[in-house]
Amino acid sequence: MTAHPSHSVVRRPRSLTHPPRTGLLLVAPAILLVTVFALAPLAFALYISVTNWPLVGEYRFVGPDNYRLALTDPGMWKAIRYTLLYTAIVTGPILVIGYGLAVLVRRRRRGSTVLRTIFFLPFVVGLTTLSYMLVLEAQPESGAINRILRALGLSDGTTAWLVDGPLATVLICLLVIWTVPGLTMILLMAAMQSIPAETYEAAQIDGASWWQREWRITIPMIRQNVAIALIISVIGSLLAFNQFFILTRGGPGTDTMTIVGYIYNRAFVELQLGSATAISLLLVVVVAAVTGAQFLLLREKD
Amino acid sequence: MTTTPATSTPSTTSARRGAGTRSALYAVLGTAAALVVTIPLLWAVLRAFQTNDTIVSAATWSQMLDLSGTNFAQILTPSGSLWRALMNSVIVSVATAVLTAVVSALAGYGLSTFRFRGAGAALSVILLSMMVPFQAILTPLYLEMNAMHLTDSLLGLVLFCTTVNLPFGVFVMKAACDAVPASIEESALMDGAGTVRMLTTVLRPMLLPGVASAALYAFLASWTEFLGALTFITREDLYTLPVALLNLQSGTFGELDYGLLVAGAVVAMIPCILLYIALQRFYVQGLAAGAVKG
Repeated sequence: MTAHPSHSVVRRPRSLTHPPRTGLLLVAPAILLVTVFALAPLAFALYISVTNWPLVGEYRFVGPDNYRLALTDPGMWKAIRYTLLYTAIVTGPILVIGYGLAVLVRRRRRGSTVLRTIFFLPFVVGLTTLSYMLVLEAQPESGAINRILRALGLSDGTTAWLVDGPLATVLICLLVIWTVPGLTMILLMAAMQSIPAETYEAAQIDGASWWQREWRITIPMIRQNVAIALIISVIGSLLAFNQFFILTRGGPGTDTMTIVGYIYNRAFVELQLGSATAISLLLVVVVAAVTGAQFLLLREKD
Repeated sequence: MTTTPATSTPSTTSARRGAGTRSALYAVLGTAAALVVTIPLLWAVLRAFQTNDTIVSAATWSQMLDLSGTNFAQILTPSGSLWRALMNSVIVSVATAVLTAVVSALAGYGLSTFRFRGAGAALSVILLSMMVPFQAILTPLYLEMNAMHLTDSLLGLVLFCTTVNLPFGVFVMKAACDAVPASIEESALMDGAGTVRMLTTVLRPMLLPGVASAALYAFLASWTEFLGALTFITREDLYTLPVALLNLQSGTFGELDYGLLVAGAVVAMIPCILLYIALQRFYVQGLAAGAVKG
């Protein structure tokens, strides 16, 4: 069994070829990084959240004050409402368009590989870079959006998209709905392809229409993947920051301030670290709950 | 199978007609969707070749084609601030990709093949960190990194980006190691291969797709990383490209130059597109392994 017969005591047969200490050494760098840059800050957060921790100077224990303040802070509730509104607007379209794209390219047809690549491009480029590209196109008079609307006779082309809360929200939602469905497409496509062709053939012989096959076979068989795609997209929306910060800085006022933007402002502009951290921990709980749901779904699948 | 009363088999002609309609629909919708995706990206590239004057003057459609490479010339001037930022981004992204791949491969191999006390706990810790979004622990992370002198440091940014990408990398690499047949490893062990030689020679061809996937992910994620770089880096000479573009947009470097801004965004876009197209097999495999299977 063992490659080293000279060794006397062998308690577990694998321990000589794969000594436990080596296993520990292999995992150590990963554990070290995760501990220092994720778990320690989380523990530290619990501590900071019960103090009035400033960026500089003395601090003292304030107990649950930060949480109490956070829960009665109208600014935070406004940011939460706005983030939920944003999530509610973009989630449906991302799923539906992503599903549609997956239907379009799931079968091996002429050009389907090229289309898959193209549809995923915006997600690969990323919302940060795309936001910078959108800045100039949203300007009054000169931006492409206004020029197109004017050419179509829909506006006079002087709309300042980024300094109006609702208009900026529309624009950012459109940007996100244009960018993210490629990810949903990839997540659903693999699942669709794993459904055996005979299942569809049997339904086709029974005279089931395309819609019926889609509703009665495809969707039930990939529903867990749909759930995962949904969760990934919802978490992304709850943590949205970059596109808002680049395009509006959360403005005008705090009209387009997302929850992460609010935490960032509270911590690094207003320097209220204790309060910012208390709000952060509430966000950790929400995101951890959603991620936990994802793991449960995954476990159910196996 | 179906509740519809229609039980008659569809005639072959109507089935063929259905297939024909579907092909036409595929061609039309596929082309339309491809245009909706590509036109804005190509438009941004066109914009990058316009000067700021052309962009803000709301030029006529024909003046739009007054193209020049001045924006790119300015970015690619080695003494310029955007060039500096571009180099910082390259350093951070390459280092993050390499470090993530190495650390993930080691941990994936360790968790897959070795039995040791704490292996389960190690996996749980990595899982747990996946549930803690860094956006939500930004404040304590900033304080901690500041205390360790890792703010205003590219090394600090690399370590941070590596940690963010690590859980995904570890799962991809663990799955890759799980898929290696035990017999291959056993025969190499018989030949006296040690742990390092095992990883770098015997297992390498089998683990390479996983490594490529983890590295590609880490590169793309750190190349477009924004909030961390914005928070941890305050020195202008250490800005990465996404943060330098923000400064450009806020007019910190003087008057806002839209031409320069969009050209910078195009420069940021190009590596993403090239790498994705070249390595998309690994990208999609990794996505399936990491996001769907867990």
